[in-house]
Amino acid sequence: MNDVIIIGGGPAGSALGAYLSKAGIKNMIIEGATHPRPHVGESMVTSSTRVFKDIDFLKVLEREGFVHKYGASWHAPNGHEFAIEFSEFPQEGIDQDYTYHVDRGKLDLLMLKHAESLGTKVVQGVHVKKVLFENDFASGVRVEIGGKEVDIPAKMVVDASGRQTLLGNQLKIKVKDPIFDQYAVHAWFVDVNRGAETKDFIHIYFLKVERGWVWQIPINEEITSVGVVADKNVYRQAHKDLESYFNEHVITNPDLQEAMKNARRINEFKAEGDYSYSLSKFVGNGFMCIGDAARFVDPIFSSGVSVALYGAKYASERIQHALETGDFSEESLKPFETRMRAGVGIWYEFIRLYYKLLPLFTHFIQSKDHRIEVLRLLQGEVYDRSEVPVLDAMRRYIETVEKSEKHLMKKSLTSISID
Amino acid sequence: MDRKAILTEYVKNEILRNKNAQLDENEDLLSSGILDSLAILQLVAYIDKTFKIQVPDEDVVYENFKSINTLVGYLQQY
Repeated sequence: MNDVIIIGGGPAGSALGAYLSKAGIKNMIIEGATHPRPHVGESMVTSSTRVFKDIDFLKVLEREGFVHKYGASWHAPNGHEFAIEFSEFPQEGIDQDYTYHVDRGKLDLLMLKHAESLGTKVVQGVHVKKVLFENDFASGVRVEIGGKEVDIPAKMVVDASGRQTLLGNQLKIKVKDPIFDQYAVHAWFVDVNRGAETKDFIHIYFLKVERGWVWQIPINEEITSVGVVADKNVYRQAHKDLESYFNEHVITNPDLQEAMKNARRINEFKAEGDYSYSLSKFVGNGFMCIGDAARFVDPIFSSGVSVALYGAKYASERIQHALETGDFSEESLKPFETRMRAGVGIWYEFIRLYYKLLPLFTHFIQSKDHRIEVLRLLQGEVYDRSEVPVLDAMRRYIETVEKSEKHLMKKSLTSISID
Repeated sequence: MDRKAILTEYVKNEILRNKNAQLDENEDLLSSGILDSLAILQLVAYIDKTFKIQVPDEDVVYENFKSINTLVGYLQQY
């Protein structure tokens, strides 16, 4: 019998498979699609490097020539550019001052193959119908193979099914985020003018619509991913097809318009909705949920893959503990949830304050007191931290501005509630 | 250069991006739209860097940033 069944072979599932296999724990990944398959989420943060190092995957990333990401750049609607470079803030245990931009079809396939090479059993194109429970403990999964239903037992089940949130739906524990309902329209382009010194950075262009921004991510030498993100109401009220909607926003930021002047689209526009949510619990008797299957926060800071990878890292530690003690109860697995909630909670708060401050966020990037702390967050250092002073400073700043009737920045704050 | 000249040069070169621009020291920078919120933040960062004066967040108000003259007047306390 498998010790662990992992539902889903994206970055969370494959990294977990790799960790478990390295620890000598029998595990199996069941992936519904057949890799490679397209996926959004093409940019990463530098903290991911630690996990890639742990599972010996850095050499694959280098061998495959993924684009190195050295920093991030923000373009205000008035044509000002603010950039940060990862080299300004060296991170403990990480020897490179860059992370990667990736074609997720390719990355996810390579990660799945990597887990397999370490000993994980992998099946693709097999759909998990549901997680089985016995005496209130998860006991395996029911899959459909060739039109027939088959039950596969395991000591533990990990849901890494991504935004599909298999267990979240099955147990009805998925809670929609009260603030963020963002909508993204994106495609791949060639001949995007990526700029000179910062051509390998991620570029974020602010739009003037509610919570609106655009990503520009280099996928390889030729291809650039570009996506328009805004509050879903902005899209609803536009009453436009995806292409007109996309183009209408591109022309509102002068730097973006310049970048897209000669751009030619090479695949279909895709749309992603229903952005942010969280499960009311990440663990239960005999199961855990990791990555997007547990929680999804707005993608503005490229946090998704890092959250998936750290979820895998911390889940594997807890699973080893459970196997050693034979205790698979919710209580035994809970420390994983506590740790992840604290980390992802910092991402969430950072993102919420960022949207509240837009475009005053640049104030904190320019500030010599706060810049390094902002960088630390942008690079994904959110775990095992008891306090984050820069978030307090942002809250204080917002309070100061809101309290003073005549403050010049009052109109620049967005309507998001920060209480 | 005194503060007034330094600030006038900065607004002309870095914010208006036109060193030949006409900029009166009493001109209302805010109503005229010369300074938007990002430009004000740039100016605050520049004042910090150049004069080593950290303008407290609560002082970023109309009275202090209305014109080059009011700004120089405000900065006199430092």
